Amino acid sequence: ESEVFEITDFTTASEWERFIARVEEVLHDWKLTGFQQTQPLTKGELSTAVWEEKQENITFADFTFVLSGHFIQKENEEKREGSSRVPTCYQDLMSIENDFPSRAHCLTRWYGLRNFLVVSPAPNMDDVMTESRANVVLSSVSIALNNTACFIPVFVQIHQRWRRFYCGTCECAGARTAYQMVHLKHIPSQYSHLSGLLEIFKSKLACPLNSLPPVSVAVRFTYMLQEWAHYSWPQQPPDLDSLSEGEVGLTEIGQLPFGACEDPVSELHLSVTWPSLSEEMIVDTNVYSDLDPQQAPHWSVRIRMTESPQCLLGDYLREFVKVCKRLESTDQLLGASLLEDDLEMDMSQALDRLTEPVAYKMPSIGRVVTKATSKLNMKPEDAPIPSDLLNKILLYLFPDAKAEDTSATQSEEATGGATTPELFKQFKSSPPTSLTYRLSVCMCIINYSRGLRAVAHLWQEFVLEMRYRLENNVLIPDLEAGGPDMGSSLLHQKLQMLNCCIERKRGREVQLAESLAAGEKVLHDYALAKQHAANPSTSDDEEDEFFECDEDEAKSPGVTPEDTAFSDAHTHQADGRSRTLDDMRLLYVDEPLYVPITQDPSPMTEDMLEEHAEVLAKLGTTSEGAHLRARMQSACLLSDMEAFKAANPGCSMGDFVRWYSPRDWVQAEGLDEEGNVTVKGQLSQRMQIPGNMWVEVWQSAKPVPARRQRRLFDDTKEAEKVLHWLSAMKPADVALRLMPMLLHAAVSKVKGQDEVNLAPISQSVAQMTSRATKVLRSPRIDVRLLQELVQRVAQLEIAVTRAQSLTTKLMAEKQDVQIEYSQLQQFVAAALEQPEIPIIGAARAPLGVIIHRLFMTSQKPAYLLPEEGAEDEGDKSSKPPAFPAAVGREYILRTHVPRPSPWSQATPQRMYCVLMDDEFRLAGAFSCDTTFQ
Amino acid sequence: MASANDSKWQKDAADQNFDYMFKLLIIGNSSVGKTSFLFRYADDSFTSAFVSTVGIDFKVKTVFRQDKRVKLQIWDTAGQERYRTITTAYYRGAMGFILMYDVTNEESFQAVQDWCTQIKTYSWDNAQVVLVGNKCDLEDERVVSFDRGKQLAEQLGLEFFETSAKENINVKAVFERLVDIICDKMSESLDTDPTILNNPQTKRLTENPNPQNSGCQC
Repeated sequence: ESEVFEITDFTTASEWERFIARVEEVLHDWKLTGFQQTQPLTKGELSTAVWEEKQENITFADFTFVLSGHFIQKENEEKREGSSRVPTCYQDLMSIENDFPSRAHCLTRWYGLRNFLVVSPAPNMDDVMTESRANVVLSSVSIALNNTACFIPVFVQIHQRWRRFYCGTCECAGARTAYQMVHLKHIPSQYSHLSGLLEIFKSKLACPLNSLPPVSVAVRFTYMLQEWAHYSWPQQPPDLDSLSEGEVGLTEIGQLPFGACEDPVSELHLSVTWPSLSEEMIVDTNVYSDLDPQQAPHWSVRIRMTESPQCLLGDYLREFVKVCKRLESTDQLLGASLLEDDLEMDMSQALDRLTEPVAYKMPSIGRVVTKATSKLNMKPEDAPIPSDLLNKILLYLFPDAKAEDTSATQSEEATGGATTPELFKQFKSSPPTSLTYRLSVCMCIINYSRGLRAVAHLWQEFVLEMRYRLENNVLIPDLEAGGPDMGSSLLHQKLQMLNCCIERKRGREVQLAESLAAGEKVLHDYALAKQHAANPSTSDDEEDEFFECDEDEAKSPGVTPEDTAFSDAHTHQADGRSRTLDDMRLLYVDEPLYVPITQDPSPMTEDMLEEHAEVLAKLGTTSEGAHLRARMQSACLLSDMEAFKAANPGCSMGDFVRWYSPRDWVQAEGLDEEGNVTVKGQLSQRMQIPGNMWVEVWQSAKPVPARRQRRLFDDTKEAEKVLHWLSAMKPADVALRLMPMLLHAAVSKVKGQDEVNLAPISQSVAQMTSRATKVLRSPRIDVRLLQELVQRVAQLEIAVTRAQSLTTKLMAEKQDVQIEYSQLQQFVAAALEQPEIPIIGAARAPLGVIIHRLFMTSQKPAYLLPEEGAEDEGDKSSKPPAFPAAVGREYILRTHVPRPSPWSQATPQRMYCVLMDDEFRLAGAFSCDTTFQ
Repeated sequence: MASANDSKWQKDAADQNFDYMFKLLIIGNSSVGKTSFLFRYADDSFTSAFVSTVGIDFKVKTVFRQDKRVKLQIWDTAGQERYRTITTAYYRGAMGFILMYDVTNEESFQAVQDWCTQIKTYSWDNAQVVLVGNKCDLEDERVVSFDRGKQLAEQLGLEFFETSAKENINVKAVFERLVDIICDKMSESLDTDPTILNNPQTKRLTENPNPQNSGCQC
C-alpha cells in the first residue's frame, strides 16, 4: 500500500518464460530432442517390456509440477533395419498388436503409447481444476516441445487425481494430435453400445470427405466371477477354540494346521476380445448385438487373489517365532501362581495333605509318580494348560507311558531307520518320528492357542519328565539309538545324550544286581564297582595311577624292542575277555590272544565337542602342545591297554599292537640257523621311538578289566549337565531350539499339502529348504533369519492354498471335459505367476468350456432361488444366460482421415472407450494437419 | 560344530589376522603317512617315524588366496579302527578332507571306499574331498598303480594326487587344490540362489540372500 513507485523491468524473464526454459532444460537432460526412427512394437511388448520412469520438479511461479517421463526399454535399439519413417506416436496409435495390455500405465492402455511425458501437480499442491489453467500449462509445454524439437506426447493432469483425467498434445511431422477425454460416472444410454460410440467418433472427426473410410474396431468384454458360493471352500473352517475346550484328539496336537481361513482366490475375470473388426461387419446396439462372447476369437483370464489371506500355518509359525524374542523366564511366567498355589494349599488342604502323603511340590525330584502325567502341582484354574489337555499332550509325546509296566523293557525300538526324504537329509533338525520333532509341533500349537505361559508350563513338565526318566532308568522314547547325531539339532543331541546316560546307568545297575546275585565270590568286585559307580569323581588316588609312569620311564631311558615287550607278569586271573582274535596266540605265553571287553567311547554333543576341540586347539602347535594333547587323549588308550592286560595275562606290547594297530607289527622273513624260513615280527619303527606315548602308557597300565576301571564317560555328571541345560532355558531359548524341527515340520507340511504339484512351488520349496539348511547349520541361529524363513514358509503356504483352491474350482466343472491334468496344472501355475493367461482356443478349448461352466454355475442360484437372487436385477427367465452382464466393455476405434480439410494429409485418429458400471470414459486422439489446413 | 566364523575359534594361536578360516581333516588308514604329510606341509620337515597319533592333533598354516589370508586349521587323525568314533565326531566341522592311502599298502587302498562312506555319513554335503596316494617315492614297494588310484578317484568323484611327504612331491599342491575347491564351492553357494516363483500379485517368493558375514558358513 505504501508503494510509491513501481519499476517494471521488461527485460527480466517472466515466470512463464522461466517455466518453459526449465522444461526445455529437462528435455535436453533426458535427451528427448530430435526425430528418432523406431521399430513398430512387437506383439504384447507394452506389457512385457521394462519401463523406465524419470521425474523432475518444475515450478510455475509458486506452483510446483512434477514432470515425469515414461519410456519403454527397447532391447535391440541398435538394430535399425525395420525402422519405420512413421513417427513413433502415430505408429503407436494405430498398432493393433498391443491393444488391452495386461499391465501398463493408464495412458498406455488408452493410447497405446510407448513414450510419453506427464505434467501433474506435485503431491502437496492443489489439483488443477480448470481447463483454462490446464491449457496454459499445456501450451507452455508445447512451446518447449517445439523449441527443442521433441516429438513425444505430453499430458497435463487435471481435476481430482483419482479421476485420472488428462489432456495432452503432440506435434510432429506437420500434424498435431490432441488427446482429449470424457469421464462420466454413468453411461449415457445412447452411447452404451458401439453404434453410439461410432457416432461420437465420427462427429468428433467432422471429416470433410463425403465417404469416410471404414472405422476399424477392437472390442474387449470382461466378465467377472466373484460368487464362488456354489462350492464351499475346501478348507474346513478351523476351530480355533477346540484346543481350549479340551476336546482335542491326538492328531490335532501333533499336526501343524494348514490352509487359508478364507478363499485365497477371490475373483476370476474373463476377457473376451475381438482384435480387429470393421464397423460394417458388426451390429452392436441397445437391442441387438453380434458380439457373442462365445464367438470371440481371443479369451484370456485374470485371477484375482485375496490379498494376504489369513493362513493357519503361517500364523502359527509367526506367533512361535515371536516367542524367541521374549525375555521372560519360566519362573516369572509360572512362579507367581506356583507360590500362590503353595500358600493356598497349606490353608485349605492342610488336612488333605496330612491324609495324603503323596502331595508333592513342583521342584521335588526323585518321586515316582504315574508316568507322563503332569508332575507340576498347580491349581487347575491357574494352570495355563488344563490338566486334561496336558495329560493328553504328554501321552502323545511319550506314547510309551501308555503301556502298563513301567519297567525298563520298552521303547527300545529306535526310530533311526525311518527314512528321511532326500530334501531333509542335510537339515539340522531331527527325524519326523522323534520326540523332539513332536515336541516342537506341540509347543507351536500350544503357544498359538494358549500363549507364552503355556509354553513355559509344557516345558517345565517336559523337563520334569526327563528327570523322572533318568531317575527311574526309563529310556526316553523315539530317539535314535547311539550317541548324539551331530547332524541333528542341539536340543535333539542333548536328549540323545540323556538317553545314553540313562542307558549306561541302567546297564550298570543291572550288572550290579547280577553280580549281587552271583554271590559272595564276586563280592569284592561288586564292592569295588559300587565304589566306582557311586563316586566317580572322587578317586584322586586312581587318577594318580594313570600317569605315575614317569619313574618307569626314568628307569628305562633306552627302550629296546625287548624292553617295550614288557611282558606282563603272569600273576593274575584273566578277566574281561570278549573273544579270541583269529587264532592268534600271545608272543611269549602259549595262550590265545583275547580281545578284551572295552569301555565304549564317550558320546558327545556338538557343544561338548566344540569345547573339547577348543581346549585341544589352545595348546598350540608346538611339539610340547602336541605331546600334551596326546596325553590328554590317552585315557582311552590306557583303558584299552589295561583291559587288554587283564584279559591276557603274560601279554606283551607286541600282542597289544597286533590287535590294536596291526600295521605297527612288522613281520620280516628270515633264515634261522638250520636254514629254515622263519617269520619274525617286531614293533614298527615308530612304536620303538624312545619315550613315545604308546610305550609310556603301556608301562603305566595295570591289568584292570573294563568294568572295574574308572568310567571314561561319567554319565551321572553328564546327565545332570543336560538336565541343568534343559531347565535353565527360558521360553525364548526353548522356542529357538525347537525352531529347526518346526521349520522341518512346516516345510514337510507344505510339501504334503501341495497336491496340485506345481513345478514353481516345488522349486520354491527346494530353494527354501536349502536356505533353511544353511541358516540352521550356523552355530548361533539368528532370530531374524528364522523370521525370514517363517515368512517364506507362509508365502509358500499361500501359493499352495491358491493353487489348491483354483484347482478345486476347475475340477468341479471338469465333468466330461477331455482335458489333461497337466494342462490344468499349467494353467494354475500360470495363474500364480502371470497377470493374464490367454486361453488358446477360446470357448472351444476344454479350459474355455470349464470356465464357461464356472460362470453358468455361479449364476444358477440366482435363477433357481429367486428370493436369494435379489441382487440380480436381470430378467429372471428360467434359464440363466451364458454369461452375466459384462463388468467392463472396451472399444478402440481407429481410422485414417484427412483433417481439417479435404486436401490435408490423412492422419491417424483413434478413440478408446471404456464402459463400466460406474465409469464411462472416452479417450480420443485426434490428429489434424498443421500445414495444409 | 564350530564353524569358521565362530569367534571363539578365531582367538587361538598367535595370528588372528586372517580373513577366512578353513578346517581341514586328514583321514585314512593307520600309518599311511598322514602325520608326515602334515609336518611336511606345515613345518617343511620330515622324519621317517612319527609317534602314532593318539586321538586327534592339529597344525595351523596361513595361505594367501586372491589377496585373502586363509588360515588353515588342519586336523590330523588317528587311523586305527578303535579311534573311528572319536574322529568321526570332528567331521561335521570340517570343510575339506584329505583322504589318504599308502601306495605300498593294498589294504589302505581298499579302505578308501569305506572312508568315503564315513565322510558321507558324518559330514555335511558341501565338504570337499581330495584323494591322495602317499609314499609314491617308494616305487619298488608300490602295489597300487597311479591308474588304479586315478580310476577310483573318478569313480568317487574326487580330485586325485599321488604324493610323497618324504620327497616333498605334490604336498603343497594338494592343499592348494583343496583350498581352491572350497573357495569355489563357497562363492557358488553364495551366487546361485535363483528366483523362480515370481508372483506379481503378492510379495515375491524369492531368494533374498542375506549378506553373509565372513562368507564361509558352509
